[in-house]
Amino acid sequence: MRYCVQWHCLLLSRVQRAPLTSTKEEPQHPSSSSPAESIHLSQSCVKRLAEIMGKGEYLRIAVEGGGCSGFQYKFSVDTVKNEDDRVFEKNGVGIIVDQDSLEFVKGSTIDFSQELIRSSFQVLKNPQAQHGCSCGSSFSVQI
Amino acid sequence: VSRRKILPTRAALTLTPSAVNKVKQLLQNKPEYIGLKVGVRTRGCNGLTYTLDYTKEKDKSDEEVLQDGVRVFIEKKAQLTLLGTEMDFVETKLSSEFVFNNPNIKGTCGCGESFNI
Repeated sequence: MRYCVQWHCLLLSRVQRAPLTSTKEEPQHPSSSSPAESIHLSQSCVKRLAEIMGKGEYLRIAVEGGGCSGFQYKFSVDTVKNEDDRVFEKNGVGIIVDQDSLEFVKGSTIDFSQELIRSSFQVLKNPQAQHGCSCGSSFSVQI
Repeated sequence: VSRRKILPTRAALTLTPSAVNKVKQLLQNKPEYIGLKVGVRTRGCNGLTYTLDYTKEKDKSDEEVLQDGVRVFIEKKAQLTLLGTEMDFVETKLSSEFVFNNPNIKGTCGCGESFNI
């Protein structure tokens, strides 16, 4: 557990340091975000979110250290928007990504994949991810 | 006079009630399919992964598991791998999936999709 916490802190400190140079010239208002900075929601994702989410509930996507490729995506339901969160909305449903995680998932598409054996939310076409696990929950980044 | 030895037999695969319900539900409006077929495939970071498909007929080498009115077939290749496995169906708000609790495996991937024996 302690190891996990340390890893996470390390990850966060790295994340916070890394984007300093790039974020200086870009304003951080959600309204003025460029397409590369945003996150796309697929049709199936929007449909599924509309089915399961109540009023004021959002899908939170976070990136953590872990999995077989170094980083992994974490999905949860959240009702609270924090200061450093970004919200992406489409057709009345929304997802929340915190600023640190956004650096790792910007430009991706969130999809709800339905198969016989499993149906779940997935992050697809992540420009930051170099190669991932077969299940798509873990990935490594390009350095 | 030698006594007949009674050997215990175990189902190759057991299903939890939630898995039984889900399989029933999946097959409800599909009379052309007789059951589901479980297999393994080489994939993922840890060697193997489970596959699940509808099936229309029982292959000669398939192992048939009949439990609570649902039929699940195990591919020949997967029979040794799956022996003694419990098939469960886990549903949460964000995802729903069949989970295989396999006593034979040595390790799994982070997400649990891939495993080795």
